[in-house]
Amino acid sequence: MNAPEKYSPLVTWPAKVNEIPKDIFFREDVYQLELENIFYGPEWHPVAHTGELPDIGDFKTINVGERPILIVRGDDGEIRTFYNACSHRGNLLETRVSGNAVEFECPYHRWLFDIRGDLRGAPGDDDFSPSYCKEELGVPTIRSAEYLGLIFVTCSDETPDLDSYLGRVKSALATTFNGDGRLRLLGYQKVLYDVNWKAYVDNDGYHAPLLHAAFKLLDWQGGKGEQYATENGHIGFESELKVPKGTDFLNDPCLLEFKGTESSKGSAIASTFPITVITKHMDMINIRFAFPRGVGKTEVHYGYYCHEDDDDEMIKHRIRQSSNMLGPTGLVSMEDASIFHRIHLGNHTPGNVTFQKGVKHEDRIWYDFKQNDEAGNLPRWEYYRKTLGFNREEA
Amino acid sequence: MSQLSNEILLALDNAQNSYIHALDTKNMDGWLASFTTDGSYICIAAENEANNLPIALMLDDCYARLQDRVTYVTKVWAGTFEDYQTRHFTQRISAEAMGNDTYKIITNYHILFTPEQGQTNVLVTGHYDDEIVLGDTPLFKSKKAVMDTNVSPRYIVYPV
Ligand code: FES
Ligand SMILES: [Fe+2]
Repeated sequence: MNAPEKYSPLVTWPAKVNEIPKDIFFREDVYQLELENIFYGPEWHPVAHTGELPDIGDFKTINVGERPILIVRGDDGEIRTFYNACSHRGNLLETRVSGNAVEFECPYHRWLFDIRGDLRGAPGDDDFSPSYCKEELGVPTIRSAEYLGLIFVTCSDETPDLDSYLGRVKSALATTFNGDGRLRLLGYQKVLYDVNWKAYVDNDGYHAPLLHAAFKLLDWQGGKGEQYATENGHIGFESELKVPKGTDFLNDPCLLEFKGTESSKGSAIASTFPITVITKHMDMINIRFAFPRGVGKTEVHYGYYCHEDDDDEMIKHRIRQSSNMLGPTGLVSMEDASIFHRIHLGNHTPGNVTFQKGVKHEDRIWYDFKQNDEAGNLPRWEYYRKTLGFNREEA
Repeated sequence: MSQLSNEILLALDNAQNSYIHALDTKNMDGWLASFTTDGSYICIAAENEANNLPIALMLDDCYARLQDRVTYVTKVWAGTFEDYQTRHFTQRISAEAMGNDTYKIITNYHILFTPEQGQTNVLVTGHYDDEIVLGDTPLFKSKKAVMDTNVSPRYIVYPV
């Protein structure tokens, strides 16, 4: 899409589309370019779901790349997005990760902002610079857009409108959010992985039945489904919902029950470029907000949600299932967390990594895949390469 | 807080010590054996706890799921993760009688971990909010590990 014309000499990319150079996973210069061109470039980044901020004054803080962001529901009910920095000398405005505020006061020189972000008062302002204008010194805003309650921000004015940006992956998002996005927050699991952000998000369709012994032990086969990618680096998985058959090795199979209604397209994963993963498996609705903390660390906030129409029993079930199945301690995903650390260590070796499963071509990119193909990640790698301006070697 | 006898305090401390010893020796059966058969275990981030958000990191609200957690660690995950040694340090902060030989105790914990490559770091810190029943063997009727460490530094295999 918005590949820069400029060629970057930092990295020469391998000729084959299924090969990725390993040094990009730990090089500081590459990371700085990624922050500039990707995290602060023309991409949309999910930062919150409206279900996390139900009441007036509710706020949340998070990062986009390394930039701190503040999201607030104003007294008019509107959700606004800001850089989390005082408009005076840039002090971090809100230090809490979430909460409810009636105003934001910067303690440094006591500038006071309301929950719409407007500056209400600045001590000693009769003595300020000639061009000082209170109306122009609200908390700095960041452009935002919303899809089914998911709030995205972008640092760039050039980012296309959200609808065309998401394209085909909207369908997986809709499945994940029960069609209407009327969600309520149940809580978070947060973890800081020792892994470069790209290796974290490069988790593939091939590994699932192999790494995760739970699938075999539970005789849990994926239902019929598809994996697809978009030209601008998003990946979608949508499949029939299948519940595990062999639950007798557990004493309490209630964890593995499906209590929802439809199951023809009951499982979905939407992975939006660059780093967000949104999933619905059985009755778990999960948004994985993530951001790099330097080249070798990735912080992930697994947010879990229920639907506004759920009854108490359904909510309890979702809490139980979400707490125990996913995240850094989850029955079917703890191993992913462990792999992130190992792959980061192993990537500090020379050469390229090679994708195999589902690779039909080595000289061009295509967009439809089988569920257990790792090749589904290749269009994203191609988009990444172009976005950073890395040239391919001659074949 | 009413004054508890040294004998009772010692019994309560013994229960906590057996619990952390079982974990530090990776003895999952010993971990299970420190609960009553109607016991429950929950490990939750302080952030969720403070905001009334119920999502936990481990939520074993019935004995069958306590048993299943032993299965996760010893059967499901065995051989898939880089192992680590934990070392739990605890300090009892308060103890209170609730009647029927049951005591409510609050205990600070600090857990260090040492992966196979040998560098030690902090895994998590927080407090236990427990109910212990004093019988022939003192057992946990409920154990809640609240983690100050809202962002854990890695995957967590063993209970806290
Ligand atoms: S930096 Fe915030 S008031 Fe001065
Ligand atoms: Fe996985």
